Amino acid sequence: MKINFRTRSAIAHIALGLSAVVSSSLAHADWPQFRGPNASSVATDAKLPTKFNGESKENVAWQTKLPGRSVGGVIVVGDQVITTSSSGMDQRRLHLISVDEKSGSIRWQQELVARGRPFCHPTSANAAPTPASDGKYVYAFYSSNDLACVDLEGNLVWYRSLSTDFPKAGNDVGMSSSPVVVDGVCVVQVECQGDSFAAGLSAVDGTILWKMDRPKLANWASPVVVKLASGEQAVVMQSSQDLVAVAPKSGKPIWKMDVKCSTIPSAMSAESRLFVPAAGLTVFDLSSAGSEPSKLWDNNKLGSNACSPLVVGNRVYTISRTVLAAGDLFSGELKWQTRLTDAKSIWSSPVVAGNTLYIFTEEGKCLVVKLGEEQGEILEINDLSESVLGSPAISGNALYVRSVSSLWKITDK
Amino acid sequence: MIARYSRPISKTHPWRFAMTMLAASSALVALFAMNDSRAQADSSSDLIKQLQGLKTSDADNQAAARAIKSLSGASDVSLLQALAAMKNATPIGRNWLMGLAGTLYRKAGANQTAELKNFLADTTQDAEARYLVFQWLSTGNDAMRKDLLSKMTQDPSPELRFAAIEDALKSPPESGKLAELLDAARHPEQVVSIIEKLKEKGTTIDQAKQFGFLMNWKLIGPFDNVGTVNFDKVFPVETDWIAGTVKSEYPGKSGSVKWKEETTSSPEGAVDLAEIFSNEKGCIVYAATEFESDRDTTAEVRLGCINGNKVWVNGKLVLSNEVYHTNMQIDQYNETIQLKKGKNQILVKISQNEQKEQWAQRFAFQLRISDSTGKAILAKGR
Repeated sequence: MKINFRTRSAIAHIALGLSAVVSSSLAHADWPQFRGPNASSVATDAKLPTKFNGESKENVAWQTKLPGRSVGGVIVVGDQVITTSSSGMDQRRLHLISVDEKSGSIRWQQELVARGRPFCHPTSANAAPTPASDGKYVYAFYSSNDLACVDLEGNLVWYRSLSTDFPKAGNDVGMSSSPVVVDGVCVVQVECQGDSFAAGLSAVDGTILWKMDRPKLANWASPVVVKLASGEQAVVMQSSQDLVAVAPKSGKPIWKMDVKCSTIPSAMSAESRLFVPAAGLTVFDLSSAGSEPSKLWDNNKLGSNACSPLVVGNRVYTISRTVLAAGDLFSGELKWQTRLTDAKSIWSSPVVAGNTLYIFTEEGKCLVVKLGEEQGEILEINDLSESVLGSPAISGNALYVRSVSSLWKITDK
Repeated sequence: MIARYSRPISKTHPWRFAMTMLAASSALVALFAMNDSRAQADSSSDLIKQLQGLKTSDADNQAAARAIKSLSGASDVSLLQALAAMKNATPIGRNWLMGLAGTLYRKAGANQTAELKNFLADTTQDAEARYLVFQWLSTGNDAMRKDLLSKMTQDPSPELRFAAIEDALKSPPESGKLAELLDAARHPEQVVSIIEKLKEKGTTIDQAKQFGFLMNWKLIGPFDNVGTVNFDKVFPVETDWIAGTVKSEYPGKSGSVKWKEETTSSPEGAVDLAEIFSNEKGCIVYAATEFESDRDTTAEVRLGCINGNKVWVNGKLVLSNEVYHTNMQIDQYNETIQLKKGKNQILVKISQNEQKEQWAQRFAFQLRISDSTGKAILAKGR
């Protein structure tokens, strides 16, 4: 009964594939990707402290120093808080790090070396995209176009150097588009002046299932998974030239529109609508089947320069520079706006717990805003004392924040 | 015997049947284990070789995913074996092996400090593997980190050398030590930093010479690049220069253009084409120079350029990057070249687009010749 390597590998391969297929094992409290479940940035039931402080550690359960730096966001899978870092000479060392949710201790680390261009603006980092998880595996992407899949013990499952596959892919300002995982496919958007493309890779082994050419212009926005009227899922990608929805498994375009979208804030979907940072904010109807969604409204007073929009109740919220604006979900009418005092530079897409908005700034402040239908009220301005550029995660009644060099758990103590 | 074994199972004693099945299954388990173990023993070294040779393709990736799964569970693969295998691996293969090493380190690395220290000390091992080991040994152990780095300012691993110099610069060293560090430093940021520190102590270093920037150029242009469509257009000056039949005058974007001499005084060796060509947009400029080498040698051409660029050395195209206004930094684009003894001809093509944004107006390049570590190679007589 000799079982040769090929057979054993095939069995392992099938097992891995099956486990990926049945990987609907995301727990209720997981925050599996950039902006959390459905990329909504919202945790409806979470109760977070409005007041905390990085220095006195008020309502800080733990702070864990991490190697190198990151401007990417955090994800939560079960009791693991997962983040990336890049360190060393030219930030060529790529780290994927899991921290224990309870203790804040590092549970595992996996390290690789950038094979693509690691260069970026001094305020950015090679670790700029937020990782993604399907609940079984974690997919980490970096500005240098290195893409790695590890299991929940940190063991490398597969690795792909997309800059080796496509040598002119890259941008020396730094890339930041975060991957999404859907239907067993890891989708990445790599848009730049050189080899500009989007691709769907097998979540099982990194095989490139499809690749589509994209406009040869720099773009930092992330793809977003939306549910179509047919019930099927699609990956929507935006650029300064177009807005396109593709089938996750085949990459086949479902629709494509000539919409000049922003290239930093990303689209999101809620209430069968697609909210796209374009002409301020443009909203499309996803509820009717058809070749392409119809435009419901747009409003140039609801623009975003960096942060992605989000929806709470009947309002859509955007941040332009240091002004928070609220628009009516159905008409697009600007309902209120408020200047975010003490904020100078905001890159981190904010998150919401219940009806309270948490906005982190590059200076290390966190503005806590109570959201209302007719107005917003700044409840607190907290000081973390460390620059934050990535989007936080919420799990249970805790807020997990990646500052440039630390990971923080903020919760009522 | 045949009859006995031919009896229906229902007619055997239950205990005998159970014992027979137990013996049979034990034999099967033993057989499987033996074969499995042999398969692993036979295949682990092959699988490591497979990872070492990885390039990039779907087939390679699928094979590698199977291989690392098998190797991670194999009993005959050690942490040191995985690390040592990085020495003869491709860049892609090294990352897969680093992944394998990570798994093995988490299993048993904490018990192998002495072996890992020996591995780190062995400068014949792979540079990336040694830096990985250095991190394992020194994370959370500042005393060990400092002790290890104190001996590594001349380490052949660029990353270890970088870390050692970074550590040495944390406390202000004396001029003599700074001069030593300048000699050891390869990374542009550290070279510039040390030169600044030396200046504070009264010692002025010619930064452009330290890097080996080429300062004297012949420029010709502007040629047409309206619509940013002529990056790959071969203008006559290009073919003539490569053929060694260059003329003094060519038809340019707006009339005939002639070569002009330019000597930059920038410490970064930057040639400011925007200033020289009056902020012309939608254009191409060629820059030519000679580099006299005192020997035949392998070297690197290292370019920094915020515009589209191509570089030829002795008629051979060595760099081509159609990228505009993302960044410009020392050693942005590097390529190995062969220098011949005597005069080497270098031609640079720089393409400017028509972006109107304030941050997209720069039109410049900087170029130097170095060895593979980044140490300047100076032209004969400089």
